[in-house]
Amino acid sequence: MAENTLEKNTVGTVNGSEKKRRLSNRKKSRIQEFLFVLPALILLAVFTYYPIAKLFQISLTDWNLLRPEWTFVGLKNWKWLFNGSGAKYLWNSLEVTFLYSLGEIFATLVGGILFALLFKRMTRSFSAMRAIIFVPKYVAMSSCAVVFLWILNTDHGVLNYLLKLIGIAPVDWLNQESTALISVLMTTCWRVVGYGMMIYLSAMMGISPQYYEAAALDGASSTKQFFKITLPLLSPTTLFLLVTTFLSSMKVFQSVDILTSGGPARSTEVFVYLIYRYAMVDFRMDRAATSAVFFFIILLIGTICTMKFSQNKVNYDS
Amino acid sequence: MKKLLAILLAMSMVFALAACGGSTGAPVPEEKDSQTPAESPDETAADADKYAVTEPIEIVWWHALEEQYTDLVNEVVNDFNSSQDLITVKAQYIGAYKDVNEALVAAHAAGTGLPALCVANTDYVASYGAGGVFENLDPYIAATNYDVDDFSKGLLLSSQYDGKQVAMPFLHSTQIIYYNKTMADENGIEVPTSIEDFPAFLEAGKKASGGYGTVVPGWDQWYFETLYLNEGVDIITKDGTCDLNSETALGVTNMIKDWCDKGLAYFATGTDASSAMRQKFYDGEAFSVMHTSSLYNNYVDKCDFEVGMAWYPASSTGEKNSEVGGCVLGIPAGNDQATKNAAWQFLQYLCGKEVNMKWAKGTGYLPTRNSVLSTDEGVKFLEEKPAFQCIFDNLNLINPRIQHSAWSELATTWKNYMEIMMNQGGDINKNSEDLVVEVNEILEDSVG
Repeated sequence: MAENTLEKNTVGTVNGSEKKRRLSNRKKSRIQEFLFVLPALILLAVFTYYPIAKLFQISLTDWNLLRPEWTFVGLKNWKWLFNGSGAKYLWNSLEVTFLYSLGEIFATLVGGILFALLFKRMTRSFSAMRAIIFVPKYVAMSSCAVVFLWILNTDHGVLNYLLKLIGIAPVDWLNQESTALISVLMTTCWRVVGYGMMIYLSAMMGISPQYYEAAALDGASSTKQFFKITLPLLSPTTLFLLVTTFLSSMKVFQSVDILTSGGPARSTEVFVYLIYRYAMVDFRMDRAATSAVFFFIILLIGTICTMKFSQNKVNYDS
Repeated sequence: MKKLLAILLAMSMVFALAACGGSTGAPVPEEKDSQTPAESPDETAADADKYAVTEPIEIVWWHALEEQYTDLVNEVVNDFNSSQDLITVKAQYIGAYKDVNEALVAAHAAGTGLPALCVANTDYVASYGAGGVFENLDPYIAATNYDVDDFSKGLLLSSQYDGKQVAMPFLHSTQIIYYNKTMADENGIEVPTSIEDFPAFLEAGKKASGGYGTVVPGWDQWYFETLYLNEGVDIITKDGTCDLNSETALGVTNMIKDWCDKGLAYFATGTDASSAMRQKFYDGEAFSVMHTSSLYNNYVDKCDFEVGMAWYPASSTGEKNSEVGGCVLGIPAGNDQATKNAAWQFLQYLCGKEVNMKWAKGTGYLPTRNSVLSTDEGVKFLEEKPAFQCIFDNLNLINPRIQHSAWSELATTWKNYMEIMMNQGGDINKNSEDLVVEVNEILEDSVG
């Protein structure tokens, strides 16, 4: 009996020290992992979280970029943003930004998938054609915008020249409220559609041909195969493109700055351009910060919703 | 856990985006009881030694003189560099005045990367003076006995804020009307001296060119604000409000709108508005354009017809003032004293009589010194560019710009509403009311 107890105790001690050793190993491993991540965290904290915290702080001040001193003004800027003259421009730029975003998302997803289907064949000539469509993605936006400034010129632009050839009157593309945003989107689409195509194409290559073979044996048409096999299995890719395009399109600035400077009559004044105008044209850093904080909150909500949606609707079974 | 990870991921993406979009990386200056250089009382005492350059130094000058002026800029800078041993100047073209402004304000806020000397469009003088961006030059002028009386009074006033000389007149221009003189002579058209006769002139110009009688630049309010000021609109009244909705102001707005509606003129807006307007004039599709005198050389070089230059027609009250344009030179206050001293030396050189004449000849800018006009060179200048006679006849009518620290914000708002009213079918009365409400809010909220 006594021997048994001793044995038990010995086993217990061995198990306990083993457990302690494992725990300490796990702890060590966690600390090690944390240390590996630490440099990235520090960079993130210094260059991202600190500026964000400052942004909140500035939104509560009256900082004019030209003055060295500022004072806290409480919620004055927030009142101005929602109840003062800022409200009109806030809602206008939000509307413009969302319209622009929708346009860019549409071009990337629909244009991308259509081009991917069109240029799916893996021959040398198709490869060259794919390259031609993809290359604009790597042309600097500023260069693109300058070229489109010339293409869209009312009097001497190529587009109006072509329209004239088929009997259509020239359009003042960049100086009319009704066409200015479309013109900016045209520039964007030219750049993004090739990117969408390449991403979809690589995803399509990853779909097992067995699905199509089985569907063909069951008599499914090509259209049916596309909607019942290709499209559902591309949903993770679609989600990826949706999230990245949504975020990149919301921060559009360069093309708007070069093509229209937010005009005519603020019809292309996207949100980042509005923030830029407050900060660098009016020197009102306080108002720029307030608008940026509000924009940040909107994007945060938008991104969380997208992630939530992805958990329920995206099919990862390819 | 997955949820938490998703939220964290989303937050980091959005953080990065908002930080990038918000231009908020610039540090907030610590709140301090700082005196702007323009307010420092010690510096009013003249002390020549304090402003002397004693050690070799290299300084940077930011300018907005485009590519066509590169040779002239290099010549002037090289002449200065070889004229003395201590200061080496490097000239940097930054872009248009707007770009120079952005770069300067950003460098000022960051407290680093400031040029020793910088040009600034005349309407930024008040903002820079109020914000302490530019050094108060009064002590420098006093210490070095710099002769400022030779500058025309209007130009000197344009470089002052709150009675302090925060900049010096550099390259100046004014609003004028360029017209196709060849076409005018052929058709017996004369530029009217009164605004009442202007519609008839526009009709004749439209008929002769088959396009527009004139073009009103809408991308910069400077070109049309003179029409308002001459009619008696204050824009910013003495009690600090805006009167762009007064009956007189509405009259001017309706007048311009009427020209546009009848096809006699068009209101040029958009990023390429200036080049599009010029091209129309070069091609003979616009009989005249309202523009800056600084582009005279450019117009003459590009047109295959004779270019005429005329003063804006007088208002219904007989006023025919204009406003000064172009740029001033200022020394950013954030520099160390040695850099400021070197900049002051170079500034004096750039604004000197000889160099002043070089600028006037090589560009379309006006001579800024009174003495230049009476010299043989001044007479020769007029012989070479007789079109400038209309400006020389009215030099005393060129007034300083409206000086207000919120002017830039006000101007942006005004231009935007003008575009709505002129080109987008906006109702003049309603939009003028909205404009004034907004501008009054801006004025109320400004630093003064």
